[in-house]
Amino acid sequence: MPNKITIWKLRNNNPLRKSYINNNIKPKEFDALIKITVEMSKYLYPYIREILKSKEDIEENSVIWNDFNKRFIELIKERFNIDSMRVKKLLNQAENDEIIIKSLLILSFCISNQGYQKLKNFLFDY
Amino acid sequence: MQNKLSFHQSSVSLEIIGLPDYSNNENKDQISIISQWKLTIVDKPLIEGKIEHLRPIMNAFYIYSNLLIKNKIPIYESKLIDIKADNLHIHNIVLKSSKPNVNPLNIKIGNSLLSDTINCFDQLNESTKVRIKTDAINNISKNLRFGLNNKVKLMNFILPPFIAIFSLILCSSTFIYFYNTVEDKEKNELINPE
Repeated sequence: MPNKITIWKLRNNNPLRKSYINNNIKPKEFDALIKITVEMSKYLYPYIREILKSKEDIEENSVIWNDFNKRFIELIKERFNIDSMRVKKLLNQAENDEIIIKSLLILSFCISNQGYQKLKNFLFDY
Repeated sequence: MQNKLSFHQSSVSLEIIGLPDYSNNENKDQISIISQWKLTIVDKPLIEGKIEHLRPIMNAFYIYSNLLIKNKIPIYESKLIDIKADNLHIHNIVLKSSKPNVNPLNIKIGNSLLSDTINCFDQLNESTKVRIKTDAINNISKNLRFGLNNKVKLMNFILPPFIAIFSLILCSSTFIYFYNTVEDKEKNELINPE
C-alpha cells in the first residue's frame, strides 16, 4: 500500500458501499488488506475483548455493547447502501448480533503472529 | 531443575514445565520434554495434565473455535474433552479425567475467555523455546493452496464486504467510550445543579 489514498480507493470495491466501483483487486492488495486488519485487531484486542465480555453479561454491563452496536449501525447507515438486502440484514437488530459477535471472534482469534495466515485461511474457506 | 515457561493473555495463562532435550544439544532454557502444563483461567478451576493431554485439548479448542466461526454446529466431543455452545456467548467445557472414579470437570466460559485461551495456545505454538509438534491446523491445506489462483476472481467479490465489516467493527471499537455511569451521573449533577 503506497499511501492511504490507495486504501481508501480499495474500500470502494465493496459492493455494499454507497460509493461502489468495481476495480479488480490484485492478490497483493488482498494480502495487504488482511495484514492491516490483523494489525488493527492486535492493537484493539483489549477493546474487542471488552465488547464481547459486555455482551456475555448484558444485564449487568450493557453500556459497552450498546455503545459499540450504536456506532456500528451509525457507520453502516452513513457509508453503506441501505437499500441492499444484505445491508438491511446488518441493520436488523434481531439478526445482526450473531454477525457482529462472530466477526469480533474472528478478529480476536487472529491476533497472533500467524494471525494473517489464520484470517486468510478463514476467508478462503468461507 | 525443570524449566518453566508462561504464556499470558488477559485472564488466561498457560504454564509449561519441562526439560530441554540435551541429546539434541538444545539450550538450557529450551523445553522439549514437557512433564506438566497448567491452564489457569481467572475465576475457574485450574486445568492441568501431562503432555499427552495437552495436544488433544489444544486441538479441541482449535476445532471448536473453527466450527463456531464457520456457522457450523459448535460441538466437539472426545474421550478427554467435550465442548458445546450453551448459546452464542457461553461455551460449556467438560473435562474427563483419565483416572477412575473422578467426576468430569464442568467449566463455562464466555467468548472473551475462549479467545484468551486460543491466543495462549497460539503463543505456545509460536514459541521458539517450546518444541511441541503442531498439526497443520493453521496451515492452508494442499487442495486449497492448489485452488488459490482460481479463487482470486471470486475473492474480488467476496472479500471486500468482509474486510469492510471488520473495518467498521474496528472503527467502532476505536470510537467506543468506556464511561463509569456513577461518574457520568456526578458530571450531570455538576452541570445541572438543580
